[in-house]
Amino acid sequence: MLNLEGVHAYYGYIHALKGVSLKVEEGSIVTLLGANGAGKTTILKVISGVLKASSGSVTFLDHDISKLAPEKVVSEGIVQAPEGRQIFPELTVIENLQVGAYTRRDKKNIKSSYQIVFDYFPILKERQDQLAGTLSGGEQQMLAIGRALMAKPKVLLLDEPSLGLAPLIVKDIFKIIQEINAQGTTVFLVEQNANQALAISDYAYVLETGKITVEGKASEIKEDPKVLQAYLGGH
Amino acid sequence: MNLLKNKAVQYTILAFVVALIPLLLDINRSTLTLWNMVIIYAIIAIGFNILLGYAGQISLGHAAFMGLGAYIAANLTGNLELPFLLSLVLSGLIPMVIGLILGLVALRLEGHYLAIATLGFGVAIQQVFKEWTAFTNGFSGVRADNPVIFGLEISEREHYFILGMIILLLLVLFAHYLLKSKTGRALLAMRDSEHAAQAMGVSLFKYKLIAFAASAFYAGIAGGLFMHLIRFTEPNAWGITLSLNLLAMVVIGGLATIGGSIIGAGFIVMVPEFIKDIEFLASIKSFATIFTGFAMIFVIMFFPHGIARIGTQIKIALLNRRNSRVDKGKGGAPNGRSKG
Ligand SMILES: Nc1ncnc2c1ncn2[C@@H]1O[C@H](COP(=O)(O)OP(=O)(O)OP(=O)(O)O)[C@@H](O)[C@H]1O
Ligand SMILES: [Mg+2]
Repeated sequence: MLNLEGVHAYYGYIHALKGVSLKVEEGSIVTLLGANGAGKTTILKVISGVLKASSGSVTFLDHDISKLAPEKVVSEGIVQAPEGRQIFPELTVIENLQVGAYTRRDKKNIKSSYQIVFDYFPILKERQDQLAGTLSGGEQQMLAIGRALMAKPKVLLLDEPSLGLAPLIVKDIFKIIQEINAQGTTVFLVEQNANQALAISDYAYVLETGKITVEGKASEIKEDPKVLQAYLGGH
Repeated sequence: MNLLKNKAVQYTILAFVVALIPLLLDINRSTLTLWNMVIIYAIIAIGFNILLGYAGQISLGHAAFMGLGAYIAANLTGNLELPFLLSLVLSGLIPMVIGLILGLVALRLEGHYLAIATLGFGVAIQQVFKEWTAFTNGFSGVRADNPVIFGLEISEREHYFILGMIILLLLVLFAHYLLKSKTGRALLAMRDSEHAAQAMGVSLFKYKLIAFAASAFYAGIAGGLFMHLIRFTEPNAWGITLSLNLLAMVVIGGLATIGGSIIGAGFIVMVPEFIKDIEFLASIKSFATIFTGFAMIFVIMFFPHGIARIGTQIKIALLNRRNSRVDKGKGGAPNGRSKG
């Protein structure tokens, strides 16, 4: 569904991606693991059109999206919940969700999307008129995911959704990601929390300083000694 | 009853009531000139608030757009003898086009860099006002006539006040509906997080241009109205002091509120006048400017949401106090943003 082929990307002179190829199959959850600074967020930036690849191709449903402006990529159905959540602190919860529906043309169905989001995250319904900046970290992450869902994504990109959250909340969030996927949304998950991410994923990639070094079925990656050592605390 | 709750209806009624005050009371001409100035600065402040308060883009050069509006109005009605209303619209539209260019600059620069660039823009345009004598008549300045609308000459301040109020009302309503719409939310989203706004499909290109264009349009209209009220202008009027006053208006009045922009304009125009009447303070050179500076610091420190929201701020503080007494800790903070 979403394909990257030999993607190179630079920040000025910094060569951040050095020939990345990966595939996200329709209906699956694919995880991208990697240490700080490996280039995970950069891959998402290239997919969403914020950073242009210097070479290589990015295709979605068999057409080239590498030249599209970020807002066009969203209209194509690729939507992300960015790193560090980045909710709009001075908008209310409901207004944040409204911005999420920004590119939607099917105005009539937007109402039912709120319902879907509130079904996944009942707390957001309770807090709907509260300023998003006053939510707890976990609630903000839920809002960031909910906001992305409002755009009715075909592929949902999640950049470290577990970052800085208590283990119990992380568990909840991963469960909901699984549910979202079960309802038909393809998920591309960027994580450092390898254990939990692999537990819900079908396929996984490991990125090291701009290159994919390991890939395979999530269940196999979990057993890979190299990955075990680097990302799973060496047990 | 429901109609009265509608913000647009409230604005309209208020505008008409205030517009009639000078006709009913006997107010001297110089006071009415000040009131007219409040309207004019309210217009530019609303535009500037769209830029700073809603879109989160700084400009320290917006005096240039107002000056441009003034000179365009003078030239179009004076030299080209265009009708006043047409010339007024053009004195908004031409700066708007130049505002678009500044918007393009803002796509590449952020924060401090944008502040510096716009400051440079303001200084450069003021220099153009000084040098381009065919357009501005340099330091000798240009004059303009009383406005004539459909054959009626407006020479009394009372009547100019009504004219100004109608234009202010139209621009308030335009801003109100613009900001309430999807556009308003997109601007706020861009202000809060450019990255996330983009991730949601908001085009930074489009909305930065909209914000700069709208604010330049409002500034140009304000300039055109100023020109026909004071009927004289020269380059020194359009410098950094005005750009900074503009910043003070929206910060003191309240960022991202229309009402706050008007309150802020009233504050900045009227306060120096009050100071003038106090002999001891009037003897201190530039006291008004010093006072404005301190007022801005004071407001930022104690009422960061501006004068327009002091009421809401106090209400929330009291509510929080009661909540924390009733049950310690529980319950989210109430919404601290008043609409408007
Ligand atoms: N805007 C930028 N300008 C210059 N270099 C950048 C920029 N953003 C990222 N980099 C560099 O590119 C490399 C990859 O960064 P990236 O943000 O993609 O890492 P990441 O895998 O997402 O890390 P983390 O887990 O910490 O989020 C890093 O070396 C980083 O310093
Ligand atoms: Mg990252």
